[in-house]
Amino acid sequence: MSRIVLRDLTKQFGELAVVDPLSLDIEAGQFVSIIGPSGCGKTTLVRVIAGLEPATGGEVEVDGAAPIEARTHKRVAMVPQQPGLLPWRTVRANARLLLDVNRSTNPVDAVAPETLLDEVGLGAFLDVFPHELSGGMQQRVALVRALALHAPLLVMDEPFAALDEITRAEMRVMLNRLVEGKGVTVLFVTHSITEAVALSDRVLVSSPRPTRLIADIAIDLDRPRSAEVEDDPRFVELCAEVRHALHRGMNA
Amino acid sequence: MNKRLLAPVVGILVFLGAWEVLVRAGHVRPFVLRAPSRIVRYLTQHPSGYASAAWVTIQHASIGTLIALLVALLFGSAMAASEFFEHAAQPVLTLLQVTPFVAYIASVVLWIGSGTKPALFIVALVCMPAFTFATVDGMRSADPATRELLASVDAARWEVLWRLRLPSALPSLFTTARYNVGLALIAAYLVEGGNFADEGLGSIGRRAASLNQGDALWSAIFAMALLGTISLVLLSLLQRVAMRWHVSQRRQLR
Repeated sequence: MSRIVLRDLTKQFGELAVVDPLSLDIEAGQFVSIIGPSGCGKTTLVRVIAGLEPATGGEVEVDGAAPIEARTHKRVAMVPQQPGLLPWRTVRANARLLLDVNRSTNPVDAVAPETLLDEVGLGAFLDVFPHELSGGMQQRVALVRALALHAPLLVMDEPFAALDEITRAEMRVMLNRLVEGKGVTVLFVTHSITEAVALSDRVLVSSPRPTRLIADIAIDLDRPRSAEVEDDPRFVELCAEVRHALHRGMNA
Repeated sequence: MNKRLLAPVVGILVFLGAWEVLVRAGHVRPFVLRAPSRIVRYLTQHPSGYASAAWVTIQHASIGTLIALLVALLFGSAMAASEFFEHAAQPVLTLLQVTPFVAYIASVVLWIGSGTKPALFIVALVCMPAFTFATVDGMRSADPATRELLASVDAARWEVLWRLRLPSALPSLFTTARYNVGLALIAAYLVEGGNFADEGLGSIGRRAASLNQGDALWSAIFAMALLGTISLVLLSLLQRVAMRWHVSQRRQLR
């Protein structure tokens, strides 16, 4: 469980304001998406929350502590846009990568990566090298690598952006299945309205740079969600709402 | 015979055949150039002398190369980590690379003594710069997404080095090793000719040259070529095991 609180957070690179004063409270166990045009500073915001980048002003709390502390205690698990698998490690060894470094802070209740790999349909590929896998399979390994940490906060930065539409649809269903009911807080950056609505409990719509919140939309679709949720009339309505907010942000 | 083995054998036989024909048909006099058949005959008549000399030379070359590699990994890691150190070390390494080492063999022998020591020293010295540059380039090529990922769990510097940067340097290190095999053998040969130890193929070659013994000289050259070929084959095998994950080791379309 991990509650995230931002108070008047700002981030500047030199003169360039990337995040305008931003305040936000994310409940533990929620799946929250941030959607906005490219270059709007979403990635920077997420890197600040993950403790990879210091804030310029304001306060950030992850689970009541500074992000850097959450990071050093391995309480943040990241899934980057590119899978970033090591070509010389097998699928199994890649899934273990984050457990193999900074071991002293490994959780006692870490899930065996092999079990997770089996759950995402890679049970037959444990000893295969990444170059033998499709893009979707590689991204599933990256997802398992993060989940294996058993961290209370999962940070995903456009993890499905490089995948084709069919694979992305599969990944949405799979991700919902993996995180629903686990109590893990997810921060999910995306460009895709469908993805944001299908996965989230809450969608934050951001303006072009500097990041400001245009809308904060609660997604009241039932869980557990299957692929059919995308046929629900309510799903279509919510997508339209997010799309309109994005337009407002672009023209503001 | 396996096709992969057949091709190089055919290449070598064609080369030796052309050489033989050239010498015989052109009536080249033996003191200018000997026919390969004559060299091989001489070599097979004096096998033990050449075998023990080759053993000395291969030790000088391989141990010297290993020392070079270790020093290069240290320097390279430091250079990849610190821009100042990189800029400070670059001109010195380039200087080492472009100075004709033959010119200072005698000084090194006077300085650190005769025998094995100067041989290892010079082999290591001439192979080190290229290995160092390869280490720096390879480490720099490490995937930024993975670097960020390791940072996100607060991996220690040595962990990033060991898990990510060093393996990333393997391809460029192997490429450099192929080039350094030749350099190391040549350096060992030349030092053995001037280190007053009377061991190694270089010593045989030096003596034969000064006494005008063409058969002995060319046999030493042949033995060197054989050592080089064997070293490259061993290096390729090692590369296939260590880098079976790499693009270069997969079957490719031509």
